Amino acid sequence: MKDREDSLSPAGALPLLILRVLRSESLHGYAIAQRIHLLSREVLAVEEGLLYPTLQKMLRKGWVEAQWGISETSRKVRFYRLTRPGKAHLEKELSSYGRITQAIQEVLRTA
Amino acid sequence: MRELFRRLQYLLNRRRLDAELENDMEFHREMAARAGNANFGNTLRLREQAYEAWGWTWLDRLMQDLRFGMRILARSPGFTVVAVLVLAIGVGVNVSAFSLFNMVALKPLPVPDADRLVRLERRSGDQYSSQMSFPSFRFYEQHAHTLSAAMAVLGVPPMEIDGDEQLSSASFVTANYFAELGTRPAWGRLFSVASDGSAKDAPAVVLSYGLWQRRFGSDPGVVGRVIHLNGKPVTIVGVTPFAVASLGAQDPDLWLPMAQQPYLIEHSTVLKEWTNGSVHMWGKLAQGVSANAAGQELLALTNELRKQHPDAVWDNERIQISPGGHLQVMQPQMVRVAEMIGVLALLTLIVACANVGGLITARAVTRQHEIGIRIAIGAGRWRIFRQLCTESLVLGAMGSLAGVGLSWAVLSIVLAETDAPKWLSARPDWRVLLFAVGVTLVATLFFGLMPALQIARQRQQKTFARQILVGLQIAASSVLLIVAALLVHAAQHALYTDPGFGYEHITSIDPQLSQHGYSPVAAANYLNEMENRLRALPGVRAVSLVQLPPLGHVVSNWTTEISGRKVTVYPNWVEPDFFETMGIALRAGRTFRPAEKHAVIVSESFARREWPGQNPLGQTVGEGANRDTVVGVVADAHINALNDDDALEQYWAAQPDNLPNMTVMARAAGEPGAIGPEARAIATSLDASVFPEIRQIRALYRDNQKMIEDVAGIVSLVGLIALSLAAISLVGLVAFVVTQRTKEIAIRIALGGEPMMVLGAVLRQFRWPLIVGMAVGTGLAGFGSSLLRVILYGVSNLDPVSYVAALSLLVLIAVAAIILPALRVLRMDLAATLHYE
Repeated sequence: MKDREDSLSPAGALPLLILRVLRSESLHGYAIAQRIHLLSREVLAVEEGLLYPTLQKMLRKGWVEAQWGISETSRKVRFYRLTRPGKAHLEKELSSYGRITQAIQEVLRTA
Repeated sequence: MRELFRRLQYLLNRRRLDAELENDMEFHREMAARAGNANFGNTLRLREQAYEAWGWTWLDRLMQDLRFGMRILARSPGFTVVAVLVLAIGVGVNVSAFSLFNMVALKPLPVPDADRLVRLERRSGDQYSSQMSFPSFRFYEQHAHTLSAAMAVLGVPPMEIDGDEQLSSASFVTANYFAELGTRPAWGRLFSVASDGSAKDAPAVVLSYGLWQRRFGSDPGVVGRVIHLNGKPVTIVGVTPFAVASLGAQDPDLWLPMAQQPYLIEHSTVLKEWTNGSVHMWGKLAQGVSANAAGQELLALTNELRKQHPDAVWDNERIQISPGGHLQVMQPQMVRVAEMIGVLALLTLIVACANVGGLITARAVTRQHEIGIRIAIGAGRWRIFRQLCTESLVLGAMGSLAGVGLSWAVLSIVLAETDAPKWLSARPDWRVLLFAVGVTLVATLFFGLMPALQIARQRQQKTFARQILVGLQIAASSVLLIVAALLVHAAQHALYTDPGFGYEHITSIDPQLSQHGYSPVAAANYLNEMENRLRALPGVRAVSLVQLPPLGHVVSNWTTEISGRKVTVYPNWVEPDFFETMGIALRAGRTFRPAEKHAVIVSESFARREWPGQNPLGQTVGEGANRDTVVGVVADAHINALNDDDALEQYWAAQPDNLPNMTVMARAAGEPGAIGPEARAIATSLDASVFPEIRQIRALYRDNQKMIEDVAGIVSLVGLIALSLAAISLVGLVAFVVTQRTKEIAIRIALGGEPMMVLGAVLRQFRWPLIVGMAVGTGLAGFGSSLLRVILYGVSNLDPVSYVAALSLLVLIAVAAIILPALRVLRMDLAATLHYE
């Protein structure tokens, strides 16, 4: 997992994607995967093998919080919620991500 | 920080959180299945990965290793017990040594601000004195701003309480003594400046707890009672607590205020004389002041004092400040002794570790199977190595715990047996425990690392490893035994060598006339009368006078150079018949004429050094006005330096001015014990206010020798323990090796080989470790024993007798340890062995 830390590869961007998705509302694990899949026009398919470990890492870092809730199928499941430090981290990463991608595009376009 | 907190929370709630996660994943799977995605994946692996995200896997593995290690150790109890015992001895010896050092030098006295307490002594070039005159003390006390307080202690001869046979020890202290040390009385009150600071205050005495128990029957009613000390009434005002902490480990039965000294010691001018150095000075540094700053201020004050009272101060004198808040003020030679003890303890540890290392290596053979399987199913070598190290750690921890316990028990006994201050406890404090942990880590590294490396790598270098371990043990044991032999030899030398004077029959009677204000004329009369009356007694053979009596309270010497070598000279002032009374043989010339001036008598060794090959009589010593002619040469008699073989003596005839400081020496025809009471009776009849200190020289001599005996005894014990460990280890290893090759040996003998030659081939591997080990050990011992010069009285540190004795013992035991188990093999039934597969 260590080589996937940079936020430019899809796997490394996962924490960023999750944070962004959770900014709108709190979701349970499956819903997060669904949302990402849909919003990316089915390009990105998040496997649970990657999702849950990443969620655990984010829990450890304190970017998200887990709370109990009832799913749409009336089942008790944990919903993940964005925390304030998580929101701050999201803002920071978004601006840095935007800057880097723009820079890359500049080079690719003109060089 | 918060993250660590979250991680800890996870650790504590693992089970619940894992269940929640599993629930989440199950739900995910359900929903995915409904949408048609049967994306199952490896559940267990997922959970593992999720768990790894929290970063606690290392802890899990460690617990696993520890549990496994303990199971393995429990499965071979014999090995575990022996290893733990051996480690306990090795660690125990080291922890004990450190604990003793801790008690003496590191633990602060249990008084407030112990780190600010200091001891003050006078030093100048080659002169040194631990005492100063009381008026000088007062001068420093009043003018030193860097000292928040100063305390003085004056030791005096034992005093008589209400006509007792047995005298009680006493000490005068300044009135602020107990206040500065924060001592609380067990009963009554202790001294205070307000009530005991002046000579006009009512005479008060404080009892020690021990005296209160012994002589006053632990009666709280003693407070307020009046007793008579040397005939003078004083009131008991209080009792010190059982575990009283005093400066310099003093333990007098009676504590008296300094201001009352002239009252109790009649006619004494000690408190007024600027040149009579008799009090020990202690002080407390002011808050935030360093010892250096205090030293500088004191130097300035010393120079100021010299202008006011030039005879009270030496040239170039300065006041030396040493930390006073520990049991002992550390002297340089004590540091040397401590180092030596540390090295010996370390050697014992080496033997213990090598021992255990050997045991582990031997046991590794039986674990080949298990380890082979683990490697086959995929355990990495690193994992095996780590697990073996953890096992060693468990062993080390157990051995260390046992060692600390052992050390605690042994030291408790030692403290109870000796006269140690009551506030000392053998209980390990944080320093000792930290040291124990450190020693454990070092030991574990030492005995655990090599075997673990070996086993993990499955190399076949077992023989070499075994040889190294044996060699190490032999080397360390050699050093210990040689040092022990040297000390035993020195002790014997000290015990059985003639000290040069007849200590068996001599009684020393010290009236301390100068302290009672006697003039030379009065002293002459008193001493004359005492000598005559003593001579008239039937049991007395001879009587004489000396200024510095043997094994006395005051030692005086100076160092000088003779033909380029530094020597220590012990001076003394004596009456003409001193030599005859003391049994010191006259080698040449004659003894003094009464009060002869400009005459000196020197010891044989002095004459030999100073004038080698010439006739010493008629030679001169000293310069100018102090020039004296040698009129006689006497045999060496180190009466004040019993254990210093290199001491040289010089004697001058007692002059009238010396008389108030002289001590009477009486030689008995038979038992010297009877002279004591007679002398006391004579003294009382001459002057009832004078209470001479009467001591039997033979008792003092024995005390001195006992210390040497004890040290030699302890080191011998340690050496023998180390040797036993090494021997046992050898026996085990040899038995093991031979058992391993039983079949081979049986075959060779059956084929006609000489049994001894066959055995010899198997045992050859132990030859070199033995030889090299002994050589290295001897070399180290020879090199390191120069540190022992300071206590090897009369024995060279390369003394051949000791070396040969030690090495012979070692060889004897080692060879026996090697041969005996091997010989057992020869008794086996060849046929049966060959049949047995």
